[in-house]
Amino acid sequence: MRTSLSEIESIENWLTGRGDQGDRLLTEAKIQLDTDLRANARWQETTYRVVRQYGREKLKEEISKVDHRLFTSSRYRSFQARILSIFKK
Amino acid sequence: MLTLTQEKPRVQPTQSRELRITQWYQDVFPMACAYLRKRGGDLEAARELFQEALIIFYEKLLEDDFQPEMNDQAYLMGIVKKCWLRQRARSKPVEGLEGVEPIQENEPTLIPQKLMRYLKQSGRRCMDLLQSFYYERISMKELSERFGYKSERSATVQKYKCLEKVRDEIKQKSVSYEDFFE
Repeated sequence: MRTSLSEIESIENWLTGRGDQGDRLLTEAKIQLDTDLRANARWQETTYRVVRQYGREKLKEEISKVDHRLFTSSRYRSFQARILSIFKK
Repeated sequence: MLTLTQEKPRVQPTQSRELRITQWYQDVFPMACAYLRKRGGDLEAARELFQEALIIFYEKLLEDDFQPEMNDQAYLMGIVKKCWLRQRARSKPVEGLEGVEPIQENEPTLIPQKLMRYLKQSGRRCMDLLQSFYYERISMKELSERFGYKSERSATVQKYKCLEKVRDEIKQKSVSYEDFFE
């Protein structure tokens, strides 16, 4: 794996507390001393947040798709009737 | 720019998750509707609330230490009730809700939609790969199968390449979108 990818892996292990403890301590020390590496670690943390939000949006889309299918497909007629009957009472 | 399509893998559909969502809908939504109907809710409100509950439930299932003392249906229904109580408390103060813990399902929306749209357009494949691992938390084995990589090692390398690519794009774009991450 090329150097920049190894750096990403080290940052990930440092951020998540995974991997070898000695390696994490070494990364910690490097981050304290190297401002570029510190900035990269910060951006990497932000990236995980962005990915999480992206994942959640994808899940929302999937749920909407299922909802749409359940309320429009003839395959789910009995489900639709059951739900509508609850609100007709 | 990194090229991530050298192996020309084909993404497999996430059918299993869709099936699970469909099952939860069929099993629990009628109960949720009955519960909300009794409390004056209509169908649209029930759908909206149930979808919110599904997201919370799904994310709970992904937590390492999540060990519910009841079945999926009962747990999901419990979340529906909490969501309803919280929504009601938001619209008007209700006495006796001190015991209802707020559900920490929504992180503050700090990611501008402009940036999200850009990432979807410029690197959807990478974003899909990354969310599969970091949000859905599928294993490297499943990841390599879903995205068609020859080995877990190869999928791991692609994952880090994607992480680097997206990180650098965010860094670059953040300069033009001002201090939105502060």
